Amino acid sequence: MVLLQTRNLGMEYDGKPVLRGIDLDLAEGELKVVMGPSGCGKSTLLRCLNRLVTPTSGQIIFRDEDVTRPDTDVRALRQRIGFVFQNFALYRHLSVLDNVTLGLRKLRGMPLGEAVERAKHELRRMDMVEHHHKYPAQLSGGQKQRVAIARALAMDPAVLFFDEPTSALDPLMSREIINVINQLRRDNVSMLCVTHDLFLARSVGGRVLFLDQGVIHAEGDAEQLFGNHSDPRIRAFFSQEAGNQ
Amino acid sequence: MNDWIAFFQQVMNFGPQIMAGLGNTLLLAAIITVTGLVGGIVVFYLSLSHNRLCRKLTEGYISFFIGTPLIALLFLMYYGLPQWGVRLSPLLVAVIGFTMNVAAYNARYLMTAYRGLDQDELEAARAQGFSSLQVFRLITLPQVLRLSIPALSNQVILNLKDSSVAFLIQYTEFFAQVQDFAVRNFQFFKAYLMAGLVYLALVSVIVIASRWLERRLILPGVRPL
Ligand SMILES: Nc1ncnc2c1ncn2[C@@H]1O[C@H](COP(=O)(O)OP(=O)(O)OP(=O)(O)O)[C@@H](O)[C@H]1O
Ligand SMILES: [Mg+2]
Repeated sequence: MVLLQTRNLGMEYDGKPVLRGIDLDLAEGELKVVMGPSGCGKSTLLRCLNRLVTPTSGQIIFRDEDVTRPDTDVRALRQRIGFVFQNFALYRHLSVLDNVTLGLRKLRGMPLGEAVERAKHELRRMDMVEHHHKYPAQLSGGQKQRVAIARALAMDPAVLFFDEPTSALDPLMSREIINVINQLRRDNVSMLCVTHDLFLARSVGGRVLFLDQGVIHAEGDAEQLFGNHSDPRIRAFFSQEAGNQ
Repeated sequence: MNDWIAFFQQVMNFGPQIMAGLGNTLLLAAIITVTGLVGGIVVFYLSLSHNRLCRKLTEGYISFFIGTPLIALLFLMYYGLPQWGVRLSPLLVAVIGFTMNVAAYNARYLMTAYRGLDQDELEAARAQGFSSLQVFRLITLPQVLRLSIPALSNQVILNLKDSSVAFLIQYTEFFAQVQDFAVRNFQFFKAYLMAGLVYLALVSVIVIASRWLERRLILPGVRPL
């Protein structure tokens, strides 16, 4: 079943096109990876999909509902999408536990006890429950990212978005996050992951979309794209990224 | 030595008036500390508005009240408004005037602290589905207030000291009573010295309280401005 699809999605900033004619499908339980050079519009794509920015053309269908219509309840839409950022974006004035319970209490109106229980369950899943009383500044990058994932999962989202989840992490900590994504895959969590990280894309499997200058140029399995692709732009990108690793 | 004993005798005799003045000073300082903080938060909130006009107006408000001497505003309301038939009590004039002024300063401190926030956290909160008011209340304000504790408590000290200006619009606060005492007893030097020491003692209490607050609210790994 299709969870999320876009039809001819376009986005402009001040008349400058950043995304053009994006057709994307994500099935329930599926993982897709979006790769492409810096500034090609990857973050903008995710931000359009949860309506942090309003696309200038095209449609987004989320579980059979056109969420580009003007009467869309964007806050309700965002609550169904878990968003994980490159820089973790944990609320620094809140403990790990409060980071996870905040949404449950203030958006879901869950009583404190129940929210704590639910938060601890997600933190345990991310192997972070013993750190629940710490503040973000007291955690390593990999730990912060796992808390960020627990915070997203606690809201029981229909899909998780990752915006370069490993690019602020060293290889060892990236490994932790890749393991988490693989674990979530086995649990059939739907995910859309934007990344530069070839190792991440390879390790999690899933279809890879190649985005360049706001257009999807190719879609295929990781190996298919990383190999000797006929499109020189794709070849150039992947050989350069491979060199960076 | 003897003249100090005589001085304290005179102070004791004038005690009730001086204590009443001190009470009025503390009352005015306490009120404007609260209203100035609430006002500052409101102005700060408006300064974050998506509406350009709203932002311009708050910027204008802040510049105006930081740029004009408070005394002009107090005189305008206390001596000017009666010409239009509006008569306000000294306390009310002082509260309104100080609140407008202190709110402008506090808003400026909060806006400065806001620049130190991590925009990604605010974006994460929006992405989680919080409304803009919730983002402000749950993320922006708690962080900005923490970062501004030193500046805000400095403002509390200024509130206490500057409240003596209200003396010029017939508000019988501490300094007004000291002045009255000094004239009646012809004790200018000692009286003003005593007034200075009393202010110093009160300021010390505020400093200690703010240090305590800062220690209690400090976040691991986050330094105040
Ligand atoms: N708020 C904005 N206003 C104007 N232009 C923007 C804005 N946000 C992004 N852009 C532009 O849109 C283009 C795509 O940006 P985006 O952040 O989506 O790229 P990206 O693929 O995520 O890049 P990176 O890999 O560096 O994160 C860039 O050229 C950027 O300069
Ligand atoms: Mg990006």
